[in-house]
Order: sequence, then C-alpha cells, then structure tokens
Amino acid sequence: MSSSSYSSSPCAACKFLRRKCMPDCIFAPYFPPEEPQKFANVHKIFGASNVSKLLNEVPPFQREDAVNSLAYEAEARLKDPVYGCVGAISVLQRQVITLQRELDATNANLFRYAYNEMPPLRPPQPPPPSAAGQSSGFCYPYQWNDPSDEDNERSSGGN
Amino acid sequence: MTLKSGTTSACAACKYQRRKCIPECLLAPYFPADQTKVFQNAHKLFGVSNIVKILKSLDPSQHAEAMRSIKYQANVRDKFPVYGCLGVIRQLYYQIQLLEEEFHSVLSQLEMYRQHHHEVPSQLELGMAPPTNGLHFLTAVSDMPVSMQHSYSNSNNIGYCSSYVDSKDHNNNKNNSNSNSSNNNNNNNNNSSWIQHPFLATNNSSSSNSNENNPLMAIQSQLLVSNTQPLVIQHEVVQDYDELHPFFDTIDDRQFFIHSKEPYDSSCEDSAKETTQAIELVPNNELKNAAACFSLTSVH
Repeated sequence: MSSSSYSSSPCAACKFLRRKCMPDCIFAPYFPPEEPQKFANVHKIFGASNVSKLLNEVPPFQREDAVNSLAYEAEARLKDPVYGCVGAISVLQRQVITLQRELDATNANLFRYAYNEMPPLRPPQPPPPSAAGQSSGFCYPYQWNDPSDEDNERSSGGN
Repeated sequence: MTLKSGTTSACAACKYQRRKCIPECLLAPYFPADQTKVFQNAHKLFGVSNIVKILKSLDPSQHAEAMRSIKYQANVRDKFPVYGCLGVIRQLYYQIQLLEEEFHSVLSQLEMYRQHHHEVPSQLELGMAPPTNGLHFLTAVSDMPVSMQHSYSNSNNIGYCSSYVDSKDHNNNKNNSNSNSSNNNNNNNNNSSWIQHPFLATNNSSSSNSNENNPLMAIQSQLLVSNTQPLVIQHEVVQDYDELHPFFDTIDDRQFFIHSKEPYDSSCEDSAKETTQAIELVPNNELKNAAACFSLTSVH
C-alpha cells in the first residue's frame, strides 16, 4: 500500500491486513514494519481483533509489555501447539520443586553440623509422580487446577 | 437454543454463540455449560475459531491436553492482562535464581563445617588443645546475610504468581488468592520493576513463614552473638576457604540446568553424591597447612 502524505510506512499489522495504516492505529507503535513475523504469529494464534481489544483494556504505558508477552505466547504456541508456553512453566515449576527439596535437605545437614552431630544423612528420595488429576505429568503452578471449582467460587462469590 | 433429547444442554461455547450444540461439537467436552467464565476467558484471548483451528491441527488424543493448556493460558491472561504466562515464567526463573543463590551459600557453609569436622580429630591426634570457642570458624558463616534466610523461608511460596505490576490488580484488587501481592503492588507502578516484586511480596510474607525455619534462625542469631573473639586463625582458615571457592563453583555449576528446557530429571541423590565425591578430593596438604597455622598462632 502506498503511504499517505504522512510519509510513514504502514505498520506490520496494517501491511498484513492490507489496510491503510491510520495515524491512530493501535498496532503501529508495537508492530513495526521491520518485524512482520511478530504480528503474523500473534494474528494467527489470537487474531487481530482480540489483540486490539486486549490492548484497549490496558493502559498505554503497559501496552508494549502486553504485546511482547502476546508475541512470546504466540510463538510458543506455534512451536508447541499442544502445550504452548505452559510447557515451559511446567518444566520450571519442577525445577523449583526439586531445588527446594535439595535446599531443605542441605539445610538439614547444615543444622546437624552446626551442633557437631553425625555426618549428613542421605538426601531425600525423589518425589513420587505428580498428584492425581494430572495425567500428563504436567504441573500447573498457578492456583488453578480445577476450572470448575474456581468457576463455582466466582459465581457464588459474585463478580 | 434447543436441547438434544432433553437431557444435555448446550455447551458454554454454543450457549455464548447462541447456536445449536451438535453432538460433534469440538468444544463441548471442554467447556461445560457451567463454566461460562472459563470459556469467556478463552474466547477473549483466542477466539472460538482459533481454538477450533488449533484443535483441528492436532491429533484427537492431544485435544484434552491442548485444551487444558489453552484454558490455563487464558485464565492467567485474565488475571494478569499485561504479562500473562510470560510473567509466570519470569517469576519462576527468579525463584530458581534465588534458590540457587541460597543453595550455593548453604553448600559453602556446609563445606566449612565439614572441614572443621575433619580438622578437629587431626588436631587432637597431634596433641593440640581443642579450640575454646567451637564456633570460631563460623565467622565467615555469620556474615551470611539474614535476607537469605528470608528468601529461604519465602521459597515456600513457590507456585504462586503472586505479584505483578498489573493494571487489573492495581485497579480492581479482585485477587482472592493473591491478596498479599495486591497490597504490595499498590505501592509500585513502575513498569520495569516488576521483577523486584516477587521478592518484595514474598519478603513481606516472610514473617508468616519464618516460623518454619526458626531453628536455623536461632543458629544464625547465636553465631552473631557468640562471635566476639576474632582469632588470628580465622583469617588463615578463611584464606584456605577462598582458595577452595573456585573449585566449589564448578561443583555447583554442574548441579543445575537452568538453561535447559528439558524436564529436570536428575535426582537429588546423584547430585549429592557428585558433590560429596568432589569435596573428598580436597588435597590433604591444605588441611595440614591449616593445622600448622593454628599451631603457630596458638603458641603465643
């Protein structure tokens, strides 16, 4: 598309959508024409209208962060259509749990040495498989394992 | 909206779209009629057509897991409209970093204890007087910042994306499960300082969790109180520890896989064994040097 008298090239979003890039285009500041893939990914996963609505709900000074997080999630979903970025969350959560256990065991040893007690005990056994309800073994760290419970809580508590 | 044979109602997706819910509806198994909020979150982020597109690109056996992650992602985005799951990931990285730092610190302390554990019997064999203050070698340990204890006690809060500088948290204060974070976030509007917030949030809640670590805190306070006799020997011993630090750094680096995205499968036992074996390789002459220094300084 030819640029208007403003002599500015259309943003990646308007280029992709093949429309005129207006001065007040909400996508323009965050989807420069040099990064066409960024908007392409976001549009493929979330859709331009959804992204536009999300950006409108966010204060202007936080929109760039919002766009970057959406771009990250879109790219992750394209690479892993099943788990998306949630796969990374699960892996990291396991690391945290393992590190915490090791730290607990080491602190226990340190406590024993502090009083010149017996040599350190063996470290604890690896944890058993994940709890019931997680057939895939994935660990969803956020306090949301049962959508029905949370949904019922919200509806009963009143929005 | 019609009902099929009067027994099943339309799924939340079809209810929202005001269309007939056919038996072959892809979304019906994952959005029951009573989970309207969950569907609204997913629809707001992805849109029905995009969700269906994702499902159709996958094998039917993967639909359940895919929908689970989609619902999770949408719910996180609803709670944290700015950062979403990326914020959760960053917070987990931050927690891992804190845990690693704390682990390094504890390991170094443990090594000092082990050195002392080996030194005392050798000194007794040489006919030397045992140290009057059994805690003298803990001078370096007492320098450990108390904040590390706080971070340890706070690490019990893992799994909580408890603090984000987020417009929704700031404006609505509707987080029931993240009440601590919302109180902390109200004081912080800086967009770039959100990384500090998890520590600040958990630090404020440390008072409630510190009870679990009272024994260690008691030890720390005892060390600070009893450290009133800075012996010359301490500097000599510390120098030996300093020489060993690079060695221990290599040990610690091998234990963690922070850069790897593969499941963290290494067992605690393996890493502990590896550490123990590496520590046993400390040359014995360094222990003798430490003992010799002690003998020279204690003669005066």
